[in-house]
Formats: sequence, C-alpha cells, structure tokens
Amino acid sequence: MSDLQLEIKHLIIEALGLEDMVAADIGADLPLFGEGLGLDSVDALELGLAIQKRFGIKIDAEAKDTRQHFANVASLTAFVAARQTA
Amino acid sequence: MSWIGLDRLLLTPDASRQVTPDLDHAELCRRALHLGGQLRGQQVQRVALYLEDAADLAIALLGAWQAGVQVLLPADAQAQTRLQLASRIDLWLDALDPAGAAAPLQAHALDLDQCRLTLCTSGSSGEAKLIDKNLRQLSNEVAALEQLWGETLGDAVIVASVAAQHIYGLLFRVLWPLCAGRAFLRRAQPFPEDMQRTSLEQPGFAWVASPALLKRMGDNLDWTALQPLRRVFSSGGALPVEAAQLLHAQLGQWPTEIYGSSETGGIAWRQGDTPWQPFAGIELSVDAEGALRLTSPYLPSGHCEQTADAVELLGDGRFLLRGRLDRIVKLEEKRISLPMLEQALMAHAWVGDARLGVIQQGRAFLGALLALSPAGVHALRNQGRRSVTDTLRQHLAGHCEAIALPRRWRLLSQLPYSSQGKLAQARVEALLAAPRPTLVEPLSAVEHDGEWQLELEVPLDLAHFSGHFPQTPVLPGVVQIDWAQQLARQLIEQLPPRFVGMEVLKFQQLVRPGDALQLSLRFDASRGKLYFTFRNGDKACSSGRILLGPEQ
Repeated sequence: MSDLQLEIKHLIIEALGLEDMVAADIGADLPLFGEGLGLDSVDALELGLAIQKRFGIKIDAEAKDTRQHFANVASLTAFVAARQTA
Repeated sequence: MSWIGLDRLLLTPDASRQVTPDLDHAELCRRALHLGGQLRGQQVQRVALYLEDAADLAIALLGAWQAGVQVLLPADAQAQTRLQLASRIDLWLDALDPAGAAAPLQAHALDLDQCRLTLCTSGSSGEAKLIDKNLRQLSNEVAALEQLWGETLGDAVIVASVAAQHIYGLLFRVLWPLCAGRAFLRRAQPFPEDMQRTSLEQPGFAWVASPALLKRMGDNLDWTALQPLRRVFSSGGALPVEAAQLLHAQLGQWPTEIYGSSETGGIAWRQGDTPWQPFAGIELSVDAEGALRLTSPYLPSGHCEQTADAVELLGDGRFLLRGRLDRIVKLEEKRISLPMLEQALMAHAWVGDARLGVIQQGRAFLGALLALSPAGVHALRNQGRRSVTDTLRQHLAGHCEAIALPRRWRLLSQLPYSSQGKLAQARVEALLAAPRPTLVEPLSAVEHDGEWQLELEVPLDLAHFSGHFPQTPVLPGVVQIDWAQQLARQLIEQLPPRFVGMEVLKFQQLVRPGDALQLSLRFDASRGKLYFTFRNGDKACSSGRILLGPEQ
C-alpha cells in the first residue's frame, strides 16, 4: 500500500467521522459509495472538499469523470497523484 | 413560451416546445399516452414510480393520470419500503420501456380533483407516512410559483441537485417547468462541478438545489461564467447564513429559500437572512406550544395542518422560524424519524434500550446510545465492539436509508434516565459527542483500617478495548496499574507524586467489558508502597505494589 493510499484512507475516516474504522478496513478497490463502504452523495461532497483542501488540488469542473475518480481508494489515489504532478 | 395547465399538458402536442434539451413536448405526449394505454391494458389501478430520470417521471405521471391510475412516489427503494407499500400498489415501475407497444390512449383534460398523487415521508410514529394530494393542490402551487418567479426565469433551463421523487424536486424541477414550457435536465447533479458543467452547456439556467449542495460549493467554481444563473432555489432544510452569503458575494443575488413540507407544500420563501414571506392565500396561526398551523391552497380545502415547527409571527404577516418541536430530525434535507430507528434497534436481541441523537462534525450524522442486553454484552465480550456495531448497522440497513445509519456508537450497561424517567435529548447528544471513556468511576469507596475497598464496573465502551484486542476485548494490565494509582490519588491524601517502579506484579485472570471488580488499595507510607488487588468475586485478577517517591 502506498503512503498516499494510506493517507487517503485516513482522510476518509477522519473527514466522514467513521470512528470505528481503521485504514485496513478500506480495501483499495472497495467501492466507496452505494454497496461497499456505503457512503452517500453528501459524503462525496465532503470528501471532494477534504481532498481538494488537503492536497491543494482542484476537481476539474470540465471533466465528466469526477464520479469515476471517487469510485474507490485506488482510483482516488491515482487521481490525486496525477493532479499533484500536473 | 406559453403556460399549459397541469390538467391539459397532453392535449396539444407541440414539437417546438422543449421538455428537456433532448425531448420535445410532442414526444413526451406520445410516450405518456402509450404508457397510459399500457397501464390500462394491464388493469393497473395504483402504481409506484421510482424513476431517477425526471423526463421519464413526467411521462409516467402524465400517462398514469391519463389512464386514471393513482400514483405513489416512494421516498426510497429499500426492500423494507417496497414490502411496506406492496399492499397499496399493483405495480412498481422503476424503468420505462421506450418501445411502448400498447395502443395509446386518447388525450383528454384531467380532472383536477380526481387525479391523485401519494408522497411518502417519515412520520413521527416511525412508520413511513403517506401524504395524499390531488392534482388541484399541485396545480395551484405551480401556478403560484410561475406568478412569483416566471418572468425572471424566462427560458432558463432548470438544473437540479435534488431528486424529483420528493415534493420540492417534483414541483420545482418537473411539474412547474413542464407547465411553463421551460426545459429541465433529466438527471440530478450531485457535485457543484457537475452543476456548473451541465449549466454552462445551456444558454440560460436556474438551479433547484438544496443546502447539502449550497453549503459545500468549495472554491473551484467559475463564478464569472456562472453569472447568467437566473435564480438559485434552496429547500429541504435550513440554509446556513454563510452559504447564502457566499452565493450573494459571488453571484450578486441571494438564493431563494423555500420553507415547506411534503404535507403542506410550500409555505413561505425568503431571500437572505430576512423573515419568511408566506405564499399568497396561506393563512398562518400558532398553537399553544408555539407551533405553526396553516391553511393553504396547496392543502385540501378547509384543512388546517398542524406542523411541529416553532414560529414567531410578525406584525407584517411574515414570520421567523424557531426550530422543530418533535423528534424528527433532518440530515442533509432527509427527514429521519428517531423513534422509528430506536424501535428498529430495540427489536435486535443485543439491544436493551436505545436513544439516537445528531452529531455535527463537518457533516451531520446520527449517533446511537445503547444499553446492551445480556446477549449484547456476551456478543461484545466474545466478538468485540466492531462486530457488534457492524451487525447492528446491517440490521438497521433494512429499515432506513444509508444516511440514517449511525456512525458513532456509545455502549452502556444502562441509559442514564433521570429519577423521573426522562432522558433529555441534549444529554443524549452530549454523551454521544464525548470521546469513549479511558477511566472508570467507582460505584462505591469505603475505608477500613487504612485499606480502601472500591466497587468498579469496567465500562463496556472503554477506548482501550478497540486495539486490545479487536475481537476479544481485554483490559490491559498497564491500564489496571494506572487505574489503581489514579484512584488512590483521589482517595488517599499526601501520596508521593512520583512513580518509581513496581514489584511482584501478578496478572491471574482476564478482565473483560462489563466485569464487576473490587479494588483494594493500601498505602504503606513508611516504605512508599501502594498495594493494590483487583478481584472479580472470589477470583484475584491482578495484584502488585506501586513504588512512589518524592519529587526529584
């Protein structure tokens, strides 16, 4: 598991108040929304803000694939990594 | 653009009138009349519609009414909801067949008093509450909205962040634009970035949004590009002042907030932090508890609806909202009945008693304060806390939407009712807001011949249990030594302040959540040694001597 993945898992737990969770509970390909971790659209908004703030990046308002980036920790990590180097 | 009444929408198909950017009014009529024919052919009398595509919802509503079918809009598609509604409907429709082979109905004007719509929301008793409307009520409301804001909206395309399944979305993003000839987008857009992107594809646009979106706009939007935004509506819950101020600063206009409910439809509106202006024809009064009552053209004629919202009426006809008086809470605009969830929790064999409260931390979510039953304590001791809370979450998942699932749990042996049997909501919420305990409060402490005897109950929810060990919670030895020393400092005066070391430590018996312990403490001042023994009944759990010394 990369450091960035771990950081994102901690961010999810912290930003969304998932007190009983630890990073190891969130598999990199576990779906974050709907089935899986069971987050909802408000969590998506909160998480979007937390990610942008923590990593100083922007969600591309032109892009149609925002939802895909937030599918799971692996896709979110790839998204943040790509944005940071961009 | 010309207004067509809700009862006459299928009479004159008009290919030049847009329903959505990719659907014209003539096609809408064709598909609605086919669907009506299909429903009549299947002899459906009552249909539940659960359609995320707002254009499909419009087609299905108009088709069903045309066929004389009563429509029910479920609040969600949970298994429990479907089961509960099964006896009330003949058909659950969550997708439309675009081919539509059935012969179409002949279009006729709808009877505003005969066409019925049933909305679902959570009631205070726990069961989903069904709210019947006729088409006249809805028709009165959309006409009033057009009267107020039709001109400023003009030909704006309606872009929404809210579902069309509830009264606000249904009126504002489907029925009103349909009658006005204003196009709307099919899908609700969850992210602000998506609201912006889909909006900027349109020449002019207006937003049907909610506080969940508007208080999380971030700093990523192109406000200059969004200047053509004609109006922002917000409803479903209270919009924080800061969110309204942000929009005002960025767009030069206050969002238009709508106050209402599924039962009453719209009651009042305001822009900015001002008193609420009732819609035309609404009569307000206040009952003895300070709660709002009203009659309205959007309610059945002559009906006076009692709300649970505390209000203060002002002399000029406007009013201030003062919060809710019952135990239905709103989480991100979703109404959640706390009594219903508490009943569902108590139906589980592990739960003796349950109270829920709201925790506000970034977002608002629910926390559960539970008194575990003996079976629940057994499960906790043998499977660990995570297993217990996961099981209870799964148990609840069949009864409510994911947003209502508690994210924080506090496990107690009993709930702290007052001697009058009351447990105030504020106390519940304070207990939920507090971190899990790391210490123990003695139930009693008695001194005899220099030796203290304490009765302790090991908290079920001790923070140390999560890591020690996740599936078999055991009180760590180091915590026992720490408790002995801390409790001794509360009871025995002039204990030397410095921890120097330990002697003859023995751990003989595991201590687990909920265990009743007896702790004996004796300080030998001449040797500087604190003797401690933890017992559970006749079994010694641990014992030893803590060496204490003066400040260095």
